[in-house]
Amino acid sequence: MEPIRPCHATLVDLLDRVLDKGLVIQADLIISVAGVPLIGVNIRAVLAGIETMLEYGLMRDWDEGMRAGELGYRVSPGASRIIKNNAPVVALSKY
Amino acid sequence: MATTEVASRTETSAKEEGRYLYCVAGAGEKVNLGEIGIAGNKVYTVPHEDICAIVHNCSIEPYQSHDQELAKSWVIAHHKVVDTAWKRWGTALPLSFNTIISRDSKSNAEQNIQDWLKQKYETLKRQIARVKGKAEYGVQVFWDPKVLAQTLAATSPEFRKLEEEIKTKSRGLAHMYRQKLENLIKGEMEIKAEEWFNDFYRRIRKNADEIRVDKTKLAEQGLHMLLNLSCLVSEGNYPRLVNELDAINQLEGFSVSLTGPWPPYSFVGIA
Repeated sequence: MEPIRPCHATLVDLLDRVLDKGLVIQADLIISVAGVPLIGVNIRAVLAGIETMLEYGLMRDWDEGMRAGELGYRVSPGASRIIKNNAPVVALSKY
Repeated sequence: MATTEVASRTETSAKEEGRYLYCVAGAGEKVNLGEIGIAGNKVYTVPHEDICAIVHNCSIEPYQSHDQELAKSWVIAHHKVVDTAWKRWGTALPLSFNTIISRDSKSNAEQNIQDWLKQKYETLKRQIARVKGKAEYGVQVFWDPKVLAQTLAATSPEFRKLEEEIKTKSRGLAHMYRQKLENLIKGEMEIKAEEWFNDFYRRIRKNADEIRVDKTKLAEQGLHMLLNLSCLVSEGNYPRLVNELDAINQLEGFSVSLTGPWPPYSFVGIA
């Protein structure tokens, strides 16, 4: 199995890392605006706008029962590139 | 008063007041990395002994926008700078998006960064050593309820018996029986999912240096995400991890997605 390089991964894979993870700064002398969670959320909310709409379109075709089973999971199109039996890799939001 | 003060500042000095921090690398060089930053900003290093912070000059305001394409380009630029530093120096401790260091009453932003590097030197060095020579990989395992339901129905004597019974029933009753069977299979799959999770987690954990369990997400094409992991992997462990993932990927009804190599976003702490 060859990994999907970050440049071909989906935007969600990137957002999960760049917005939600990374070193957290703790120092008196330093004012870190990243300590304010709202900022990350703002950017994600802006970007999530596209994804939610995409997801909405996809969700309509879904089996009701399957959807009920998935309640509580986070909505994300991140799983749009499944590799199985050399099937073509599909990425929703390449960058 | 305050308005006049803001208005009187030149654009340049306001822009100089903050430092956008991308990552910390294990190198003591003072270098200019070029205009590769967010919005084309000039990125350079602020060294302290044998480590450095990778920054660009900015105003003391978070990057915010309602323009989706613009926000997206910032996040991508952030990652590209981290990636550049990571590839250049072999190690990088990525910061979260929008980490901006301000001046305070005593020192300017650059001095504050240097003070921070000095103050947290031991912690940062320890974290650099921990991720050195290792890369992060995103591993997601999916299962296909349709395929696995069929397998379960075909292999369980209980389910097969029900299946046989359905054939002898009238259309209305058969429908009720069919629903009962589907619910039973669904319940059974939930129990199985926990077993699969434990089994795959153990197999993947064995071949990674460190592992983080992330929240699972809604998957597409009717699939369910079973595992969403970030794995910190050394070069030595990487082929063994891929072998294990290949084995899981070949199991009927399961598929694996692998992304990477990423800088160690999921394996940095507090400093």
